[in-house]
Amino acid sequence: MIRSQTNIFTFTIITFVMMMLFTPEKVSSQSVRVLVPAGSFHSVLPEVEGEPIQVDSFFMDETAVTNEQYAEFLRENPEWRRSNIPPIFTYDGYLKTWKSDLEPDYEEVGENRPVTRVSWYAANAYCSEQGGRLPTLNEWEYSAQLLGIEDEAEMNRFSSKLISWYSGIDANNLPEVGSTGIETTTGVKDQFGLVMEWVADFKPIIADEISLDCGTVGRMQTLNSVYSYAASIRYITRMSFNPKITTGMVGFRCAYDEPDRSDQTKHEVTL
Amino acid sequence: MKSAITKFTLLTALLMFGMTSILSAQTEEYKIDGMTFGMPEAKVYTEDYNGSPVVGEYITQAPNLAPLDYEGNKHHEVRLDIIVQEVEVASGVRYQAWTFGGSVPGPVIHVREGDRITFTMKNRSDEMVEINEPMSQMRVNGKRAMGPSDLSAISNDGDWTSTSPFMKQLRENNFQKNKAGIMPMPHSMDFHAGTVAKDDKWRTVGPGETITFDWVANYPGTYIYHCGTPSVLMHTAMGQHGVVVVSPKDGYTEDYEVDREYVIVQSEYYLTKGDGDLYQFDFDAAYNNDPSHVVFNGHQTILHDQPLKANAGERVRFHFSNNGPSGTSSFHVIGGIFDRVWLEGHPANEMRGMQTVLIGASGSATLDMIVPEEGKYILIDHEFVDAEKGATGTLKAGPRKK
Repeated sequence: MIRSQTNIFTFTIITFVMMMLFTPEKVSSQSVRVLVPAGSFHSVLPEVEGEPIQVDSFFMDETAVTNEQYAEFLRENPEWRRSNIPPIFTYDGYLKTWKSDLEPDYEEVGENRPVTRVSWYAANAYCSEQGGRLPTLNEWEYSAQLLGIEDEAEMNRFSSKLISWYSGIDANNLPEVGSTGIETTTGVKDQFGLVMEWVADFKPIIADEISLDCGTVGRMQTLNSVYSYAASIRYITRMSFNPKITTGMVGFRCAYDEPDRSDQTKHEVTL
Repeated sequence: MKSAITKFTLLTALLMFGMTSILSAQTEEYKIDGMTFGMPEAKVYTEDYNGSPVVGEYITQAPNLAPLDYEGNKHHEVRLDIIVQEVEVASGVRYQAWTFGGSVPGPVIHVREGDRITFTMKNRSDEMVEINEPMSQMRVNGKRAMGPSDLSAISNDGDWTSTSPFMKQLRENNFQKNKAGIMPMPHSMDFHAGTVAKDDKWRTVGPGETITFDWVANYPGTYIYHCGTPSVLMHTAMGQHGVVVVSPKDGYTEDYEVDREYVIVQSEYYLTKGDGDLYQFDFDAAYNNDPSHVVFNGHQTILHDQPLKANAGERVRFHFSNNGPSGTSSFHVIGGIFDRVWLEGHPANEMRGMQTVLIGASGSATLDMIVPEEGKYILIDHEFVDAEKGATGTLKAGPRKK
């Protein structure tokens, strides 16, 4: 277990240093921010019994970051282009379906389709540039389950479909952002049905304690519902990644502590 | 840019510092009762490999088993890459399978008790890998196939059929009608034939990553391999399973020659019609033990479309594995009695004169049968609900020849 703890240590150090060095210098493209009010939820990770996880209010992008938005980020930030990005921040597959450094292949990936094949480091840099950050695991999960489905049978049907979706995300034919029809009560779209998404702490320290094997889903299903089964698959899949991975089924959206002040920020240089 | 490079150098240095401290102590190799334990630590890395997804001399498509044409023990170099393939599992039923090497079940690996295996697996689930194109086009991104073993030397025309008997057999008999697909997911490999620490060797690797580790086939028998990444129910039901046949070093206890050997893998599919033409994983069916198909060798009718062959008076050996993920099998041959049965395929577990052999999920048996007379014999899971969902096959016997 020493190995994995050191991994996390290394990972944290790199993240920290990266954040220091790559502080955004400019705010560029805007996206719609949605307020997610404070609340609580139960996680499939071990928690203090009977005490749901509290989440403070935050803002989150209404939709996942698109290819077009990402291309704009690359125009301003050449060091994150495919030909420049250092290998310590990504595997080879970074934006591999793009025609060139700044041109998504729209036939293949589509302007309004979510950007995928970006590493966790790149997703982080993008969100910093927008004056935000990646949502935390708990923020993302808390928002995702605000579906407003009261009926248990309906929730089970929804969750069964969700599990089938996890077994068959068609990375070659992703839908456009905002097109899934799945929206939370606060107005956040497509947390399910489009792509999986990076979160800041996708591999929490507990990931090392939850040994990934045949029994893991059974141990994680603390809520004893179909939704928690689907959630377990999502948590486990994310925990299995490392921050350099780039895959056709993982995109991201950003979170913010402040509301969008685009009227001012468009003309302002912020630090 | 210059300052950026300096920053990167600093980061690289930090990373390297971190890496050196990651190296942890590993148990030294040792022996107990002639068996070898204590394998070196698995390596996870990225590699520029886009060759044949299945490499190894003794790797075949079920029901075939490669003969072991060497004396004593051998160190095998085996590669099974994870690729996504759209496959047919019954007439009109196709789905995007998660596979080891391209088929469901995955390739049959044959080794001898005591053999060492250096296993390599790249997670290529985020890559279109065409495995049944015309031979001249069997290349990925225009590069020729390269393998970890010397086999690549004889495949310098880019033809993957020489990288393993499996690739050749699949090319010649593509009954699942493969089409390349993409479905990036993290995956892992769990060889039941291996005796190792699972948190090292059976580690999950993400799309684009490769894992290499060693194991020794300490115990003879037929052993399932499968993906061990949760949900294991989903991953195995999606197609990630196969078998390793470990032949005993001193043979079985029989005093006769076996005329034919076949590998039969039983497994379940849990599929429902998706939005388009394809079928997809049905969570409710899987969770409630209600398979849509129970099959031999991955396809509902393959062992009828292509019956196993034998002649009257011959001794046929079945290496039977129930790969589940969740069901049991009561294996029987209509018109036959198993003359000798070795449970799990271990020579010490001998039974005689069995009509039906109960085999649990991830269990196996090696079963010898005398073919009585010319005619048809039906292999069947005598749990009739399974039989009627597809778990049957035909052994077609010709006249007595000797």
